Amino acid sequence: MSQGLWPRSGGASPDEAWEARLAETARAFVYPATPNIAESVRQRLRAEGQPRAALVRRGWVWAALISLAILGGLLSVPQVRAAVVEFLQIGAIRIFLTEPTPTPVPSPTPPPATPAGQAATPSPVPTPSPVPTPLTSVLELAGETTLAEAQEKAGFPIRLPAYPAELGPPDRVFLQDLGGPAVVLVWLEPGRPERVRLSLHQLGRGAMAEKGNPRQIEETTVHGQRAIWAEGPYLLQFRRGNQVEFDFRRLIEGHVLIWTEGDMTYRLETNLPLAETVRVAESLE
Amino acid sequence: MSDVDLINQARQGDDAAWLALVSQHQEGVFRLAYLLLGDADEARDVAQEAFIRAFQALDRFEAGRPLRPWLLQIAANLARNRQRAAGRYLAALKRWLQREPEAVGPSPQDEHLQQQEAQRLWQAVRRLSQADQEIIYLRYFLELSVAETAEAAGLAQGTVKSRLSRALERLRQVIEREFPGLWKERVA
Repeated sequence: MSQGLWPRSGGASPDEAWEARLAETARAFVYPATPNIAESVRQRLRAEGQPRAALVRRGWVWAALISLAILGGLLSVPQVRAAVVEFLQIGAIRIFLTEPTPTPVPSPTPPPATPAGQAATPSPVPTPSPVPTPLTSVLELAGETTLAEAQEKAGFPIRLPAYPAELGPPDRVFLQDLGGPAVVLVWLEPGRPERVRLSLHQLGRGAMAEKGNPRQIEETTVHGQRAIWAEGPYLLQFRRGNQVEFDFRRLIEGHVLIWTEGDMTYRLETNLPLAETVRVAESLE
Repeated sequence: MSDVDLINQARQGDDAAWLALVSQHQEGVFRLAYLLLGDADEARDVAQEAFIRAFQALDRFEAGRPLRPWLLQIAANLARNRQRAAGRYLAALKRWLQREPEAVGPSPQDEHLQQQEAQRLWQAVRRLSQADQEIIYLRYFLELSVAETAEAAGLAQGTVKSRLSRALERLRQVIEREFPGLWKERVA
């Protein structure tokens, strides 16, 4: 290697002259002629019968179905009689604002114990509830995997917080398909593997989540961009693609910061105060 | 008419407005797809799909955001998924082997020298990880600003700068190791 060709400024990063040469060379790259993509898009939209107006109408229908599903879910839970008034949306997460009411969680009833040697008495088959029982912890999520595998399959770069400095890699990693890739990273309290210190959802394009009835919502910023801070408890619900049904629901008791960067939606759940949570959010790299 | 006006019209059901936006941005989207995939036919398919997906998701596009980075991000995601498809690796390798002599062959003509260098630079970039490739293509080949690169990559601007710095260092190592002749002719 010639030092004259590759001048270094004594550090790890390439120097400006090298970067300028790179830019100049890249500018000279010869691309194939750009095909008439507008025409092929026009033909495809026509062939698939997707004029924009139809999509607009379909969007309203979809929104109405989701609203009804949320409302129906809330009303089907005993003691919950909240009137849905409006919703906020940030990225892939839609927050339905309801009257502040307590949100009880139906707990699963364990089957009665059968004494040894005694045949179990057939019990009536319970009527399936229209509302899935909420998970009580993020640790109950399906799709557990490793960080490396999640990174390989997610289709987007998984980002980790650099703050707090001692946080390190996540203790648990979940990869789910919610109509788009969704990665959930979980850090546990040191020495208390049953307690979650912090969890970070990274939702790619197409993933969708809804939540209802947070105790408090306020707007804030992450890197100067709009973000939403919600305080629990409330129900978080995920659905897949255009399905109206929810894949699962989970009771959230901590505080959550939601923000977007590009097409990614991030959801940071923690018991930290707002300012500290924003600091964690802005440290993602 | 600005992108914002056309987007608003497209949201109201004006397909012609969307096609005008496609015409306006198709070159950049196609070029990014080509850089990532190395095949013009696949790049055309990805670019077309990117515009269809964007059209379908227009309601979720935040008003006021620049359109180009969003389109490029969709195209990059689609290209990434396509690269994972079964059998693509072998097909790409076959095409690559077929193209190699043309790509690296010497050209006696001075006007072609820079184009040859650009081809070799592209080959060097393709040795890098997908993430490094994307950020280099956005910033240097498509000449996006740092802010646009950040928008397209879904990263903060500060993160883009640090990732670019690391990607360029890795590119420099690849060039030194595998393409030591790149740029020598014109510098010497």
